[in-house]
Amino acid sequence: MSAWDRFAFTFLNLEVARTYWLDIAAGISVTVFVGIVVVATGLSLGLVLAGLRSLGLRVVTWPILVFVDLFRSLPPLAIILVIYFGLPNVGIVLPSLVVLWLSLSAVLAAFAEEVFWAGITSVAPGQWLAARSTGLTFGQTFAHVILPQAAKLAVPPLTNRTITITKNVALGSAIGVSDILGQANSALAMSTNATPLTIGAIFYVILFLPLVVASRRLERRFAWGVAGS
Amino acid sequence: MLNPDGAGAPAGSRLLEARGIRKSYAALEVLRGVDLVVERGELVFLIGPSGSGKSTLLRCCNRLEEPSAGTLLVDGVDLMSPRIDINRARRQIGMVFQGFNLYPHLDALGNVTLALRKVLRLSRRDAEARAMETLALVHLQDKARSYPGQLSGGQQQRVGIARALALEPKIILMDEPTSALDPELVGSVLGVIRELRERGMTMVIASHEMGFARSAADRVLFLEGGVIVEQGTAEQVFTSAREARTRQFVQQIMH
Ligand SMILES: Nc1ncnc2c1ncn2[C@@H]1O[C@H](COP(=O)(O)OP(=O)(O)O)[C@@H](O)[C@H]1O
Ligand SMILES: [Mg+2]
Repeated sequence: MSAWDRFAFTFLNLEVARTYWLDIAAGISVTVFVGIVVVATGLSLGLVLAGLRSLGLRVVTWPILVFVDLFRSLPPLAIILVIYFGLPNVGIVLPSLVVLWLSLSAVLAAFAEEVFWAGITSVAPGQWLAARSTGLTFGQTFAHVILPQAAKLAVPPLTNRTITITKNVALGSAIGVSDILGQANSALAMSTNATPLTIGAIFYVILFLPLVVASRRLERRFAWGVAGS
Repeated sequence: MLNPDGAGAPAGSRLLEARGIRKSYAALEVLRGVDLVVERGELVFLIGPSGSGKSTLLRCCNRLEEPSAGTLLVDGVDLMSPRIDINRARRQIGMVFQGFNLYPHLDALGNVTLALRKVLRLSRRDAEARAMETLALVHLQDKARSYPGQLSGGQQQRVGIARALALEPKIILMDEPTSALDPELVGSVLGVIRELRERGMTMVIASHEMGFARSAADRVLFLEGGVIVEQGTAEQVFTSAREARTRQFVQQIMH
């Protein structure tokens, strides 16, 4: 057997592919579903936290900072395991899908809060003055004046965070949630062949490449005010 | 009408009546009891060295800065009242900034319509119609679709004036409206301010444009060290000031 044949047998085995691709494809729905729910929850929570922080009230800012720093420093897997295996000890038993959702959303929210906050502080203070002087409320100023400018800075890091956290759905396999990678891993164990991983990789690319391309579009859309906009 | 000091015009003609305004930042007392009383239709000039508290005073007049003490009436409405809806009250008080502070993500039209739509709750059509009329007043109707980054400083400041003007305020406060402009662009902004005055707009302008003050201001106030040191007509303050500090300051800004 030539080196290529051995490579093809291991990574591009049609026989194995035929047997397992449907199982792995089933993992897509888990990745997509958990991913969408986590991104929606995490980004909204992060935005709300950043908005609350811009009120500048110490009693509000403090707990936010504790939450943010905690969830930015803990490895996501540790959070998942602590909630899944730890909380039952105090009588709280959550389904693994809920644990995955809560953990990843909290991590994304923590990072998103920092990104939104950096964007908010980058907006010139005169913008608040000008908007409030016309009678806009704090909330209206935040939504229509500050946020659109903060978003310009926030979009690139946020798309990165979004993609990263969605890939982290794979951590769910530690608590029995099988996404693309989890399914591919089981197939790998059963078939003792690496082709399921190839299939998983292809699914990941199909899933994430459009997201990456879309984020570039989004970045361009936020480059307002320059020639041609 | 109550008219506690019994002097001057009846209270009804007073558009802005700020009395005893004090403002401290931590240990620093920036305003030490300033009275700023402006009659309807009056154009008041505010001069004073950098750091004397001109910007702080103007911002205290619509509570963008919270005065530490003092009373504040705008067209008879007590802005310091605990029951005041300050966002509602601010519609009556236009503000124009040294650095323009236009919204960079909105075009000129969007800058003017934002408050019309969100504060006055006009429909998009009505807001745009009113904004176009206002942009015409500052001679920028053909720049409605330009973003601030595509406009000259003079044009940006005129959009800033239109943004304030569109809400049909009773008074406009301007904080050094021309100091950030190249000299050749100052005239276009002063021209618009002069037209506003001719239309009867009440204005307080922090500015050192002495020539303009001479020809357009009803009164000039000299602010230093957090107090009004002297006030009078432009002629009095610029050429025959009573206080030595005023004469010294006027000397400085003449050159
Ligand atoms: N937010 C602030 N915090 C602390 N000090 C301030 C603040 N704003 C203004 N000051 C101080 O108040 C003084 C008056 O400032 P300002 O009103 O901007 O003066 P002017 O407009 O006449 O140059 C200055 O000494 C300035 O440093
Ligand atoms: Mg100033």
